[in-house]
Amino acid sequence: MGHAAVLSWEGGVGLDSDVARLRRGDPQALEALLSRYQHRLYRYLLRLVREPALAEDLFQQTWLRVAERIQRFDPSRNFDAWLFSVARNLAIDHLRRYRPESLDEPAAGDPSGEPRQARLAADGPSALDRLLDQERAGLVAGALADLPVIYREILSLRFEEEMKLEEIAGVLELPLSTVKTRLRRGLDGMKRKIETRSPGQWGLA
Amino acid sequence: MSPRDEDKREESRGKLRDAKMNEHESMRELLALAAAGALDEDEQRKLGRHLAECSACSAELDAWRGLAASLKRLPTPQAPSMLVERTRSRVALELAAIAERRKSYWVMAFLVLFSWTVTLVTWPVVRLLSGGVLSWLDLGFNQTWFGLAGYTALGWVTAGVAGAVLSLKRRREGRFA
Repeated sequence: MGHAAVLSWEGGVGLDSDVARLRRGDPQALEALLSRYQHRLYRYLLRLVREPALAEDLFQQTWLRVAERIQRFDPSRNFDAWLFSVARNLAIDHLRRYRPESLDEPAAGDPSGEPRQARLAADGPSALDRLLDQERAGLVAGALADLPVIYREILSLRFEEEMKLEEIAGVLELPLSTVKTRLRRGLDGMKRKIETRSPGQWGLA
Repeated sequence: MSPRDEDKREESRGKLRDAKMNEHESMRELLALAAAGALDEDEQRKLGRHLAECSACSAELDAWRGLAASLKRLPTPQAPSMLVERTRSRVALELAAIAERRKSYWVMAFLVLFSWTVTLVTWPVVRLLSGGVLSWLDLGFNQTWFGLAGYTALGWVTAGVAGAVLSLKRRREGRFA
């Protein structure tokens, strides 16, 4: 049964049935959902809090809360957005309690929030290209990690999770106009940071 | 052409230039959002018109697109497998506890319903007996409402004590499990 989600070629169908089964308390549905979301959810939490140990803790808390609250989840809503907003609320609560300053100020310079086994883009045709890709990815990841949390999260949701603006507004519980403003400021911030570190590089794909 | 006309023409040319500059600046503001796919239809249309005649903005849009592409291609940090395993077993326990709690609610609801039924069904029997055999105890059971209340209270106190003993026992078992 746990394989149902993996075998179904159309993601949404398997997802709906997994969510429905989890609402009935089926532990195998939990297994399927965990496998489906493990890396994405972990990545999002890591972008938010930047410390792997804390991200791991919040990852576990998120799933516990999902188990607790799945009864209250409205199946006509988007599960992705619900899951990410559960994770976000836990992360923001934590930051508010232990590091309130991080919620409104840019944090100082340690961009190394990422575990080493980060996957390499496998499509670089030559070794040199791969090296350049890696360098650029490092530059971009560093700039992202240096932004204040409100911009990190919005950039991660838009570009990594590829959520629509309306979905992001749902996760962050913000009006669409604020989402757009933050998105623009976040990108501006990225540009400035990359330019300071490596002039002329900001727009190179 | 009089110098005055000349001035006027210059002035209007200047105004046009300013308007173009303003439009250029306001369109530039949209470029980052355009690369993020976050413009509404109206903005999209205006920007499209502007891009057709402004090479500076086209170049800048390409740069923003490059940045957007790099963001999309950032390596995904992998959740450690130990973490996923730990979470799986922890949450499975939680699900079992939730199911157990839900079952307890149902059992409780059933018991309450059952007790009331028994109380009401047996009441006539108690009355019958209290009229005869139990009358010498003078418990007042033959005054209907007072008697029913006393009888019900007796039943609930007994059930309450039994419930408390059971839950204590269960808690003790839980601690040792």
